[in-house]
Amino acid sequence: MIRAEQLHKHYQMGDSVVHALDGVDLSIKQGEFVAIIGASGSGKSTLMHLIGCLDRPTSGLLEINGELVSAMTEKQLAAARNSYLGFVFQTFNLINRTSALENVLVPLVYTRRAVQRATAKKALDRVGLLSRASHTPSEMSGGECQRVAIARAIVNSPRLLLADEPTGNLDTKTGDQIMQIFHELHAEGITIVLVTHEMDVAVQADRIISMRDGQIVEDTAVDQAQREQILIDAQSSFRKVFDQKAAARAKANDTDAHPKPEAAS
Amino acid sequence: MFHLRIIAMAVRGLQQNLLRSLLATLGVVIGVGAVVSAVSILEGAQRDILGKFESLGADQVIMLNGTRQHGHRRSSVTSLEPEDADKVLQDNEGLIVAVSPQYGSAGQVKYYEKNAFVSVLGVVETYSEINQYFQVHGRGITREDVRGNAMVCVLGHGVAEDLFGALPAIGKPVKINGKTFIVVGVMEERGVMGFTNVDDQVTIPLSTAMRRMFGQKYLSVLVAQCVSAEKMTSCVEACKKSLRAAHRIRAGDEDDFTVFTQEQMKQQFAQVAMIFGIVLYSIAGISIVVGAIGIMNIMLVSVTERTREIGVRIAVGARRFDILKQFLVEASIISMFGGALGVVCGWAMSDFLSKFTQVLETYTPPSIIVIAMIMAGIVGIVSGIYPAIRASRLDPVQALRYE
Repeated sequence: MIRAEQLHKHYQMGDSVVHALDGVDLSIKQGEFVAIIGASGSGKSTLMHLIGCLDRPTSGLLEINGELVSAMTEKQLAAARNSYLGFVFQTFNLINRTSALENVLVPLVYTRRAVQRATAKKALDRVGLLSRASHTPSEMSGGECQRVAIARAIVNSPRLLLADEPTGNLDTKTGDQIMQIFHELHAEGITIVLVTHEMDVAVQADRIISMRDGQIVEDTAVDQAQREQILIDAQSSFRKVFDQKAAARAKANDTDAHPKPEAAS
Repeated sequence: MFHLRIIAMAVRGLQQNLLRSLLATLGVVIGVGAVVSAVSILEGAQRDILGKFESLGADQVIMLNGTRQHGHRRSSVTSLEPEDADKVLQDNEGLIVAVSPQYGSAGQVKYYEKNAFVSVLGVVETYSEINQYFQVHGRGITREDVRGNAMVCVLGHGVAEDLFGALPAIGKPVKINGKTFIVVGVMEERGVMGFTNVDDQVTIPLSTAMRRMFGQKYLSVLVAQCVSAEKMTSCVEACKKSLRAAHRIRAGDEDDFTVFTQEQMKQQFAQVAMIFGIVLYSIAGISIVVGAIGIMNIMLVSVTERTREIGVRIAVGARRFDILKQFLVEASIISMFGGALGVVCGWAMSDFLSKFTQVLETYTPPSIIVIAMIMAGIVGIVSGIYPAIRASRLDPVQALRYE
C-alpha cells in the first residue's frame, strides 16, 4: 500500500538546509494500524505529509497504492487525496461558521460527481453525530469537532486514514472515544497511520515506528503482551523519574530545615 | 450541478462575513451608480436638446449676426439688415423658397390689470408658413401689416390664455411695453420650437418691432427655407455668398455673420456632449476602479484569514484550480451584487434629480443595465484574480499550520 525507499525531504530555512527526512525506508501493508512516534522535529509530520500527497519528496522513491507519487500529476494527487486518503488533524481544521454536515460535504464537492447529502449523513451517523448535523464547530465540543473531522475524512470511503495527533487537543476520556472510532474503522479494513507523541495512544497500534532526526530508529510490531509491557515500562520509568524527583525534593526540604548559615543570603 | 455547488459555496463564504461583504460591494455600488446616473443625465440632455433641434426643421438655413476679431479680442457685430432678406431670396431663386427675417426682444404685455412677461418677435408674413405654425383664431401677420408698420399683434396660445382666459381676444387692445396693439390672431398650442416656447411669445410686424418698438436697424435672425433638405449644402453656400456680396466683404476677409443649420447644431452639440461625457465617464470610471481596489483588498484579507480553510480544502482533494475558481466566484458575486444595487441606485438618483430640479431631463436606457452588469462582472474578475491566484498557490502544508 505504501512503499518508501531512501526518502529525503529537505527544506531551505534561510541559509541552512533542514533535513526533515533523511533516508527513510518504510513499507505499510493494507489493513495495518501504524503509529509513528517521535519528538517534535523528528520528521514524523513531514513523513505524513508526503504519504498524504500534500508534499513531494526531495529525493527517493515513494509509492502509494502501487503508483509513484513523484510521477503523478497535480490532478492525480488531488484525486488521491480526495478518495484514496482521509486526513484527521490535531486542531480538527473544520471550516468555521459552517454546519457539521456542510463540513462533511466538502470532500464530496471535489469529487466530480453529483453531491449526495445522504452519503455525508451516513458518515456523520457513523461517528454518532447525526443529531448535530446543523451545528457549527463553535457550538460543539472538541471531541465532537474531531468526530466531525473523522466523518469528513471517511465520507469518500478512503482506503487509508492519516491522523496527525488526533487526540493532542483532547482530554483523556474524549481521546479514548476518538481512538475507539479508529479501532472500529480499522476493524472495517481501513489502513490507519497515526502520528502521536503520547505513548498510551501509540501502543494501541499494531506496529510502532519511532523516528528521530529524520530517520526511523525503530520499527516493531506489538502484540497484546508487549503492549502491556510497554505501558508498564513507561510507567516504571516515569515512576523512576518521579521517585528521583521526590528524593531530591525530600533532600532539599531536609536542607531547608537545617539551613547552613553561610548558605543564607 | 458542480458549478451550482461552487456558487452556493461562495455565497455561504460571503454570508459568513456579511457586513464585510456588504462593505466590499459599496465601492462597486457607487461606481456603477455613478455610471448609470451619468448615462441617464447625458442621454436625457441629448434627447431633450436634439428634440429641440429637430423642431427647427432640417431644411432651414439660420443666419445670425457674427463676430469679428479686433486685434486679439473677438466681439459680436450687428450686420444683418432687413434688406439682406430680399437679397438672399432674389439671388437664389429656385434654391430658396422663402425667407423670414426676425427681430426678437423681451417685453411685457398688459390687458387691463392682467399682464405677462413674454418674448416679442417681429416677423413678416412668411414666419407662420416656414415654421408650419398657424393661428387658431383671427389671422397672422400680413405683408400689409409689415408695410404699414401696423400696431397689431398675434398672441401665443399661453399668452392669450393668461390675459383673456376663455374670453375672445380678437380685436381687443393690449399694451406691449406701454404701446397699444390690437390683437388680430391667436396661435395654436405648440410648446417649444427651436429654443423658445412659442406659447409664451407675441408676434408683431417686423417693421413695427424694429422702428416703432425697439428702434433697431439690424435683425436678430434671418431664416431661409431651402427647397429641399438634400440641397442644404449648396443652400448654405448660396446664403453665405449673397450675404458677403450684400455686406461688401472682400475675398479673404472673414464673414460678419454666422450661418447655422440643424445638422451643424447637432454636430456641435454632439461635440459638447462628448466632452461632458468624457468628464462624467472619467469620474464614474475612477469610482469603479476604487470599487475594484476595495474588493481586491477585502478578498486579500479573506484569503489570509481563510488560509487554514484553503489548506483543508486542498487536503481533502481540491485542485488549485478549484480554489482559484472559488475565490473568483466570490469576488464576482460581490461585484455583480454591487452592480445590481448600483443600477437601482443610479436610476433612482437620476430620477430624483430630474424630478427635483425640474430642468434636467434624464433618461435611463435599458441597455445600460446589461452594460453595467457586464462591467461589474469584469470588475469582479479583475479584482478577484490576484487574491484568487494567491489562494491557489498556497502550500497546503504551510496553510494547515497557519495560525
